[in-house]
Amino acid sequence: MSASLAPECNEKKERYDTCFLKWYSEKFLRGIASTDDCEPLFKEYKSCLGKALKEQGIDTMLEEARADSRESDAEHMKPS
Amino acid sequence: MVKFYTSNHTYDSPLPTVSLAYFLRYPNPYSKHVISTDTISRSFSADDQTLTTVRLHLKRSKLPQPILKLLPRSMTGASATGESKSYILETSTVDMRNGTMATESRNLEWVGVLSVIERQVYRGVRPGQFSDPPSSVSDFTIKEPTATYFESGGSTEVQTTVTLRSPFGEQRWRARADRNKSKSATAAEAEEEAPKQSFFKSWSTQSLQRSIELIGLKRAQTSQPNAKEGMKVVLERLRSGGLVAVLEGMRRDSKGAWGKRMVAAGGEEYEE
Repeated sequence: MSASLAPECNEKKERYDTCFLKWYSEKFLRGIASTDDCEPLFKEYKSCLGKALKEQGIDTMLEEARADSRESDAEHMKPS
Repeated sequence: MVKFYTSNHTYDSPLPTVSLAYFLRYPNPYSKHVISTDTISRSFSADDQTLTTVRLHLKRSKLPQPILKLLPRSMTGASATGESKSYILETSTVDMRNGTMATESRNLEWVGVLSVIERQVYRGVRPGQFSDPPSSVSDFTIKEPTATYFESGGSTEVQTTVTLRSPFGEQRWRARADRNKSKSATAAEAEEEAPKQSFFKSWSTQSLQRSIELIGLKRAQTSQPNAKEGMKVVLERLRSGGLVAVLEGMRRDSKGAWGKRMVAAGGEEYEE
């Protein structure tokens, strides 16, 4: 499995990724998924990752990028 | 102001397999510069049978010499040799009912220098005839690949568009555009040209933008085939040995990522 940018979250990430791949291939791809079965594991992984993103200042960069991309898309992607 | 690169390709696998390979594509022998991949958010809609995923990739990258010469290092954050790390934000939506997957990747840094947005649309050629997904967890727990699933028929067409834009020096134009927002749409559109023109009087800035965009375009042209080859490797691993083979391949490739040849291994890309 690919690594997390926060090594301390690797274990939680792996547990989640494994769950996801199983759910994705067995349920989602069959069109029989009714819930996201791996959500509890994702929450654990996300809370770990969230801390790391905050510590490294990546969270603000993410927010800015997402706000900025919406704005620049509107300004520049229209036909000229 | 904006440059585009487009390409079309057909993968010899049905969309479910291709979408799985997409999620599992890092690391691969063509993307050894990818250090990490994290899922930032994931939302599943039972009503629409769609899955939207936002991921963050961290890549080791090398800024090209021409850009290093053009821009101060304080702006690029790169070392003297141009080595740097870059974050890529990737959003994907898999739509099982329509047999499509739409993706978008954009760089999060140097956006003031060069913004690179890659958009892809994957379409299952026979969307109504998906093959059976792997029958059980056996794919990666009991080490018994269900190769049949990955061999079954169908193919997937993908259209890739890369948009390159150097917003370098556009802040002034932007500020004006912001002020225009309160006015009516027609008035805003009419005034839009004016600030652009006055900005373009600064020829050197414009040529700098152009150079940067051209460099980005060249890179897109060289990195796109690599991205395709990387996907092919992952698809081949799926075909030959299911998820076990993919995960084993990943382990080997990630070891390689920290080896001495790391910079040579395609680290020059904005987008894989």
